[in-house]
Amino acid sequence: MIPLLRTEMIKAARRTRTYVIALGLIVLPAVIVFALNSRGDHGPGRERGDGLFRLAQQSGLLVPAAVLSIMSGFLLVVIAGMFAGDSVASDAGWGNLRYLLMRPVPRGRLLIAKAIVAGTLIWACTLLVALTALVGGAIVFGTNAVTVPSAIGGGVAGFHLDASVLLLRLALATGYVAFGFTALLALGTFFSTLTDTAAGAIGATIGVYIVSEILDGISQIGRIRYGFPTHYLSAWEPMFTENRLPTDMLVGVAVQIAYLAVFGTAAVIWFRRKDLRS
Amino acid sequence: MPMPIVNVTGLWKNFGEVSAVEDLSFVVEQGQVCGLLGPNGAGKSTTLRVLMGLERPSRGTAELFGVSVQPGCGELIRVGAMVEQAAFVPHLSGMLNLRLWWEALGGHLRDADLDTALGIADLGDAINRKVRTYSQGMKQRLGFARLLLARPELLVLDEPTNGLDPGEIRDIRELIGRLTREGATVLLSSHHLSEVEQTCSHLVVMNHGKLVSSGTVAQLVGSTGSVYVEVDDRERARTVLSALPSVRNLHLQGDGLVVDLHDGRRSDLSVALMTAGLRLETIAPAQRLEDAFLELLEGPARDLTPSETPVAVDATEAQ
Ligand SMILES: Nc1ncnc2c1ncn2[C@@H]1O[C@H](COP(=O)(O)OP(=O)(O)O)[C@@H](O)[C@H]1O
Ligand SMILES: [Mg+2]
Repeated sequence: MIPLLRTEMIKAARRTRTYVIALGLIVLPAVIVFALNSRGDHGPGRERGDGLFRLAQQSGLLVPAAVLSIMSGFLLVVIAGMFAGDSVASDAGWGNLRYLLMRPVPRGRLLIAKAIVAGTLIWACTLLVALTALVGGAIVFGTNAVTVPSAIGGGVAGFHLDASVLLLRLALATGYVAFGFTALLALGTFFSTLTDTAAGAIGATIGVYIVSEILDGISQIGRIRYGFPTHYLSAWEPMFTENRLPTDMLVGVAVQIAYLAVFGTAAVIWFRRKDLRS
Repeated sequence: MPMPIVNVTGLWKNFGEVSAVEDLSFVVEQGQVCGLLGPNGAGKSTTLRVLMGLERPSRGTAELFGVSVQPGCGELIRVGAMVEQAAFVPHLSGMLNLRLWWEALGGHLRDADLDTALGIADLGDAINRKVRTYSQGMKQRLGFARLLLARPELLVLDEPTNGLDPGEIRDIRELIGRLTREGATVLLSSHHLSEVEQTCSHLVVMNHGKLVSSGTVAQLVGSTGSVYVEVDDRERARTVLSALPSVRNLHLQGDGLVVDLHDGRRSDLSVALMTAGLRLETIAPAQRLEDAFLELLEGPARDLTPSETPVAVDATEAQ
């Protein structure tokens, strides 16, 4: 397994695409920090309205939370969908997959290695966003403690967050956001075994997420929404806006694990059985 | 009898309603160079894919070294295969492609037969260029290099000379010759009879997914071949040859006779004629091998359509 992880990682790491994405994930948070700063009205106690974005002007330690909050909704989904959907299908599309299987690399092992590599890249991207935002935020806004006024917390009394508490919650939030792509990883890997066209698998994966987000916004759909892969993705935000560790985060983790179990198993079973036509 | 290297038994592969392979059976023994011959769409690639564990048989079995092939089965490590075109990771160099392919199972590229491989690839500095920039011929040579890394005992090659120029084709033929002298067994598919004729010791001919014929190249060509004979007394020759069990048909042509054989060798004819005291002026294949191949493929149809020119072998008529 270790050699296979290494060779698959080299293959992924040597793609120009990977570097373009990495560059984008440095530039974009930097631009957001710049935009935040240019509003110019930062300083304690002057924020109005709600959301992490207003708060973020108080302290660089909150900037990563704000940046993750907007980027995990769409851009990171697209990037994660790309890594996951591409995992098997790109090799199949190049025609290289059959040669790997004739080496012979066991199919189940290859699939898992490819999923782990895709997952590692997704985590790396999330971390990169958080770190860039943290560095940029710290430079521009400093690393102060934060006072959250009651208006933001939706009726919750105002509270104070120390730098150390902020850092800890930031780490937790980043991990939660990255882990939130687990369902997408499993789904994308599964789609990737179904086709030799990487673009198709990527499109299907991102499509499922977009549909999930749209339907999730329609409350009439009822409780089924709680099972959608996107439903709990923002469950971490109250850590900063309401000073609590939401239990929804635990439910969110459980939902992700359920998707991993179902689609991960489906992907392995299907990939081990399928006729390789590419 | 030693265990066959390849043993395909009653193999079927269906795609929905279509059968790409129907009840195909053949063996390849140690040291043979076996050509899987058939026109496009005959089911050659499908057969080789099943043999390499890429596709599952609908029915029947494919065995390598006496072991029934499953996807990723361990015996595959003894096989070097190229199924359809050679293909690589385009954004990596030829060298890195070789390295990653080899090291996917662990170990280090220096344990592989890299010298032989690079000699075959003969890519010079291009080996360090991205594969994306290679021509099909270069990829094909790199494909040969890759399959030789593991010092395979069996080579499975699907139309290996596709996309190569005449010089490269000759190199590949020499390579196959060298590897078989060193003890390798080869199964290669082709739709060019002239190609297998020069390379193979044995043939498996298939058409529409079915086995048409199999045996040594000499047997197959002899068994359907027609022979052109010129002798000093044509009528007597006709009588003598009609009596031979291996003669199916004969008819007059030019100054001589065209004899259709269903088995036996050309030499049987010359022996019979000379024993009868006839002077043999010419004996030569009346057909090119290419025609023999087409004839094999069209075999069943031909039996159904009575032909005009050939005279049926019939003792009374021949008198
Ligand atoms: N994946 C597939 N789905 C449907 N039909 C297929 C598939 N693969 C091959 N075939 C059909 O099976 C037959 C044999 O194909 P193939 O094995 O590629 O022949 P060959 O290699 O001898 O040219 C062809 O008629 C082809 O159309
Ligand atoms: Mg073919």
